[in-house]
Amino acid sequence: MEKDGITNVLLSGVGGQGILTASRLLAMAALHRGFDVKMSEVHGMSQRGGNVDTHVRIGEAVPSPMIPKGGAHFLVSFEKLEALRYLDYLRPDGVAFVNRLEISPLTLALKQPNYVDDVDRILDEKAPHLIWVDGTEMARELGDVRMVNVIMLGALATRLPFLEEADWEAAVKERFAKPKVREAVANAFRKGAEVCPGR
Amino acid sequence: MKQMMLGNEAVARGAFEGGVAFGSGYPGTPSTEILEYLAPYENVVVQWAPNEKVGLEVAMGASLAGVRALVTMKHVGLNVAADPFFSASYMGVNGGLVVVSADDPAMHSSQNEQDNRWLAKAAKVVMVEPSDAEEARWMTREAFALSEQFDTPVLFRMTTRVCHQTAVVNLEDPLEAPARGYKKDIPKYVLLPGHGRLRRHEVEKRLLAAAAFGNESDRWNPVFEGSADVGIITSGVSFSYVRETMPEASILKLGLTNPLPFERIKRFAETVKKVIVVEELDPYLEEQVRAAGVDATGQSLRPYFGELNLPLLEEALLGEARNKVTVSLADVEIPRRPPTLCPGCGHRPVFKVLRDMRIHVMGDIGCYTLGALKPLGAMESCLCMGGSVGMAEGLERFGGPDLEGRVVGVIGDSTFFHSGIAGLVDMVMNGSKATVLILDNATTAMTGAQPNPGSGVDIRGAPAPRLDPADVCRGVGVKRVVVVEPYDMENLEEVFAEELAAPEVSVVIVRAPCVLNEGVTFAEPVELDLELCNQCGLCIRVGCMAIREKDGYPEILADLCNGCGVCVQVCSEGALTIPEKVGA
Repeated sequence: MEKDGITNVLLSGVGGQGILTASRLLAMAALHRGFDVKMSEVHGMSQRGGNVDTHVRIGEAVPSPMIPKGGAHFLVSFEKLEALRYLDYLRPDGVAFVNRLEISPLTLALKQPNYVDDVDRILDEKAPHLIWVDGTEMARELGDVRMVNVIMLGALATRLPFLEEADWEAAVKERFAKPKVREAVANAFRKGAEVCPGR
Repeated sequence: MKQMMLGNEAVARGAFEGGVAFGSGYPGTPSTEILEYLAPYENVVVQWAPNEKVGLEVAMGASLAGVRALVTMKHVGLNVAADPFFSASYMGVNGGLVVVSADDPAMHSSQNEQDNRWLAKAAKVVMVEPSDAEEARWMTREAFALSEQFDTPVLFRMTTRVCHQTAVVNLEDPLEAPARGYKKDIPKYVLLPGHGRLRRHEVEKRLLAAAAFGNESDRWNPVFEGSADVGIITSGVSFSYVRETMPEASILKLGLTNPLPFERIKRFAETVKKVIVVEELDPYLEEQVRAAGVDATGQSLRPYFGELNLPLLEEALLGEARNKVTVSLADVEIPRRPPTLCPGCGHRPVFKVLRDMRIHVMGDIGCYTLGALKPLGAMESCLCMGGSVGMAEGLERFGGPDLEGRVVGVIGDSTFFHSGIAGLVDMVMNGSKATVLILDNATTAMTGAQPNPGSGVDIRGAPAPRLDPADVCRGVGVKRVVVVEPYDMENLEEVFAEELAAPEVSVVIVRAPCVLNEGVTFAEPVELDLELCNQCGLCIRVGCMAIREKDGYPEILADLCNGCGVCVQVCSEGALTIPEKVGA
């Protein structure tokens, strides 16, 4: 982290993908390391199948809970369209982690496709630095598709050198009570980290 | 001890630390989680009220009994509670009373973005505004004492970005707040005109005393000394944007925003060359600061509505945003992803039938308001909590022959208990012929399944008396009350037609549990035989997330489909079927 700087992580996806849990884990890990953290989340109307975004800001002192457009160091997107929608939040050196998953918004009529054609190419072209994550596929292999959020977090963690393994362990321990769940989460986290070797 | 907390959770924590004995309110984004986080604290009585007005009235009774009380609601909820709120200002309190109003700038989950700071000024009560989660905690903790000190309800005004931010909070041990005991005081508590006129003086004295307190309080209204070039006056979440945009500026941060501490404001203004007021929504601070004779700018620098944010403030104060947007999305059309009814939701067949019958629907507030969106498009108005009933009566009566027998009010069970009942009484007493549909899922679904009078459980999940909306309707004099389930759409249409034709008030209670909150699964996912599909698109037009278009044909998403069978009923070709249950 830059001295006196704030690291901005924007997480986006569709309601029900576990984005809030991933954001909380990140925030708790940062608090464990002694950072100030502010996070802004979405509740209410927007959760009924709508798009969801959470802003997580980590630093020595963080005044406001919202990331400005053009100010995100990282974009962690659980769905392709929701990566594209928030791409303009990235800084020129910002990194996008995108889960290879397409969830169509509600189709309104049969002859009216409701997705962006060629979304992979557009993302590759527009994102300054993009890392594809087969998160949903990997979660299926682990036997629990809900783990995609932890896999994405594991991938992100490789680029957050200011957080140590102990911080993540503490966050997982605080968030999940059952030893079996903790173990599954730790396993998914490691899988996610393997996406981005060379930490 | 430090802990990550949601702003709303921090209010609950602050209330606990402040010795609160009672919490009430009605769910409404962004306020809902406050009471839910208060409920686990032992020794605090926490309960949902049928509406905000009742919640405040019970809290006033608790206050008179001498205990500290908290009432929570969203901004429009305070409109419902405005009657007791304005007069509670005259009555004053015994135990401290804090009323949370959670405003929703930019209308993330609301029908308007009214700025409730005006209501504190109009009601002449003390107002507190936290700017982050930690302030939400300590300001709640100390607001009860302010309430007792100035003998006033305190309006605790939050906004979405304070309610729904998660941040580091410093926990403290609870304060001692012994119950003060009930003291009968007829001139204070009975607001007859003669008493009210005397209390009116007390209200003005309170405002003077509270302003004097605010003028001297470094804790509530701190000054951040900085450059003498610019002095910024701000409050609430706007403070955090100011701090980040201009860390070098002098800032007067107001935690007490009614009555305003004008002496402090003037003293601050004298130390700087230029005064700028930074706030969200209305120029509430700016107008008063200028009226007090301070030369200040503010709203001319920012948008008149919506939320403030860093780039907007940087443009206003620095001339341009610090972060340049380098990724352009101008050349790509990104489909919106609006909220929709869940797969299997019992509201969907209701709106599908109403749309096909071309019925004019006066709607209400809840998940079912989504019935107004395409492709259902089956709702023609949504005004306020409970408004569907009265509006249906008025539209039916004055809509002429085209609308006669063709108007329904559609309201959810929680909204019906909240404020639909009085509308139904109006229909009965005035001989309306309109029809009301109560979509009864026995919960308050949109805000996250809070129990209501029809749920049979309380906020802690313990068994509670259950009111049946059908009994309530009969009890207020409705003779035609029919209860149906929604998934047989042929039957639904027959029932609607019969009740619409009836020359008197009728109520159809459409009963189905909330699929999301109850985890309802009807059957195996629907199967599609593409050879039989004639691409008519009717199944797409029921508006379900589990059916999408693929290469000109529908596609069933088995992960999402729970086999409710609504799409199967609209298919004339038999292409959609519910698979036989194996071993059933």
